[in-house]
Amino acid sequence: MSAAAPSQPPSDLLAPLLERRLIIVTGKGGTGKTSVVAALGLAGARAGKRVLLAETGRDENLPRLLARDARPAGYEGRAYRAGLRSMRVDPYEALGEYLSLQLGVAPLVRLVLGNRGFRQLMDAAPGWRELITLGKVWHLEQQVAPGGGPLFDLLVIDAPATGHGLTFLDVPRVVQAAVRAGPLSRHAAAVEAMLRDPQATLLLPVALPEELPARETAELVDRVRGGIGIRIDRIVVNAVPAPPFPAAVPDLDARLAALPPGLALPGAPSPAALTRCAAHLRSRYELAQEYVGKLGEWTQLPLVTLPWLPEGVRGESELEILARALAPEVAS
Amino acid sequence: MSPRREAATPAAILAGRRIVICLGCGGVGKTTVSAALALLGARLGRRVLVLTIDPARRLADALGLEQMGHEPRRIAPDLLARLGVPPEGELSAAMLDMKSTFDELVARFARSDAERERILANPIYQHVSDALAGSAEYSAMEKVYQLSESKDLDLVVLDTPPAQHALDFLEAPERLLGFLESPLVRLMLHPAFAAGRTGFRLFQRGAARVLKLMERVSGLAFLEDVSEFLLAFEGMSEGFRERARTVERTLFGPQTAFVLAAGPGPEAAAQGAALLERLAASRVSLAGLVVNRMRLWPGEGAAPAAISADAAGLLAAALGEAHGAVFPARAAAEAALELARGYASLVQRDARAVEPLAGRVRERGGFVTRIPEFDRDVHDLDGLAAIADRLGELG
Repeated sequence: MSAAAPSQPPSDLLAPLLERRLIIVTGKGGTGKTSVVAALGLAGARAGKRVLLAETGRDENLPRLLARDARPAGYEGRAYRAGLRSMRVDPYEALGEYLSLQLGVAPLVRLVLGNRGFRQLMDAAPGWRELITLGKVWHLEQQVAPGGGPLFDLLVIDAPATGHGLTFLDVPRVVQAAVRAGPLSRHAAAVEAMLRDPQATLLLPVALPEELPARETAELVDRVRGGIGIRIDRIVVNAVPAPPFPAAVPDLDARLAALPPGLALPGAPSPAALTRCAAHLRSRYELAQEYVGKLGEWTQLPLVTLPWLPEGVRGESELEILARALAPEVAS
Repeated sequence: MSPRREAATPAAILAGRRIVICLGCGGVGKTTVSAALALLGARLGRRVLVLTIDPARRLADALGLEQMGHEPRRIAPDLLARLGVPPEGELSAAMLDMKSTFDELVARFARSDAERERILANPIYQHVSDALAGSAEYSAMEKVYQLSESKDLDLVVLDTPPAQHALDFLEAPERLLGFLESPLVRLMLHPAFAAGRTGFRLFQRGAARVLKLMERVSGLAFLEDVSEFLLAFEGMSEGFRERARTVERTLFGPQTAFVLAAGPGPEAAAQGAALLERLAASRVSLAGLVVNRMRLWPGEGAAPAAISADAAGLLAAALGEAHGAVFPARAAAEAALELARGYASLVQRDARAVEPLAGRVRERGGFVTRIPEFDRDVHDLDGLAAIADRLGELG
């Protein structure tokens, strides 16, 4: 599957993704992050793991991909099959849970959270949503199942789009700098330790083989290497088109262009239209290949390529294709 | 539906307004659309600035600027002339720098140098203004307002962050006002204010509890910093409030137009429709819709509903004649028809997916422009010019 340049380790030598405890999936908007999250969930559940997928956005997209109905999972979460759940980490719910755990007085916490002044203050206050979201993830990661062992084997986070995603991951460090002491600072330190644990945690960027997403991914990798210190060992390149022409006719568009312009083809487009279709598809294919190459060159990381799917990702049958590419070790 | 003052075309909007705000979901090419709108504005002879508030630095790429900073950078006049911009038209680009914008605000409203320094040195201020997520929106609204007041500019085009944050942006002035006017903040600022007012005293008890609770979780030093930060802002807060109201009036006033950018596929169109719903619930009146990267049929007329396999024989014969007996003409003919079939179905699917969204925008009196997916992606000025051509066709 990989089209990585020779200087990088091929992606089939990489440790399987599903061996991690926590995978944070990020990428520019529109790259198909959520599809990758859903596909990892499917692969993990199939491998016998207890998987929790967490969305961080205002709208939920996982239920629509993983079930026939789009009923939101909410903070309580929703099960799709054995070993596969999703939830949406709502910052206010997480804050309520955190304060209740910290203070042990749930009614008081409810009173405070319902206070209009407090809501106005919190609506305007920056940073805490990111911290409390990561804090909830940390808390979930610590959960123990009734029979012992972790409650979830694998947590996959659908993180905010790249620009905001980096801020998101940097918040625990910033909070420690601002708060300096006390429980909040200690908790921020625990969250940061989880993020920086290279055995447990992986940041998985999803790119597209196009200029702006490729550049942003390279920028993300540089910034993560430069300071945030979270492990990143491969890039997912989504929606990579297959070669459009049969191997025997690599120059199909040029061949079509040589046809006499007046040629009438009953029930079919004109030779000129056929030529332009072929030429357009060839350009788009070559463009994608160019950016697959550049992504490898810019990031010096192995690439896992996912095929372009003509119908997009609508449900399980498309997710299966992505799951096989992401976790080839899991038999379907 | 309020009566529109101009015919709904991109050109009319760009010629008549002072602010154009481009909204849309992630990945639809909003930055490209914003920059192309700005270029079309410059072609109409206006002095235009395009501003991005997205922390990911995309606009410089699309505009071919090596770097782009807080200060507007002019695109060279000779480049613009080549792109059809008349001598009086200007185009510049800037990226929002949250920290400098905030610092400028502090400098503007601080009553003394000492006050300014005290605020700038406060640890809470430093983190609020440059490190934490969410401050972008506060400073963006300020910057757009400042720029739209500039005598050197006729039009500001704003490239907003993806949908979720785009809506945060629209709510930012209100949120800032809500914050400055919230009883909790006022209590921190003016503890004496509450004395003698029963309702407020009741609240005060609640607020004292909130503060106590925050203290237990965050530690005392943090709250002291917060309180010092708010006290430092006390003298400036009236100025800020006044400012936020003016900014809000401008952003939702008649000088501002909102344009929705959407992607072509079913998923992107569904996201665009969801955003449109939310906008309809707000005070935003939408000027139009730009659907970016739509697959359009490259031949005459609409994409054919079916492509007959019967043509394969004829096409193979013609290919054989043109390229000789060794050429695998039959395979080539079948592949060519299959590609055209696949592409035609994508074209139709894009058209079907976008139509409900486009219909709703037209119902509201907005324009709808479709930008084709080009052979190469648009991330340079020539590509922007090609999009500006399409946007201009309607006008």
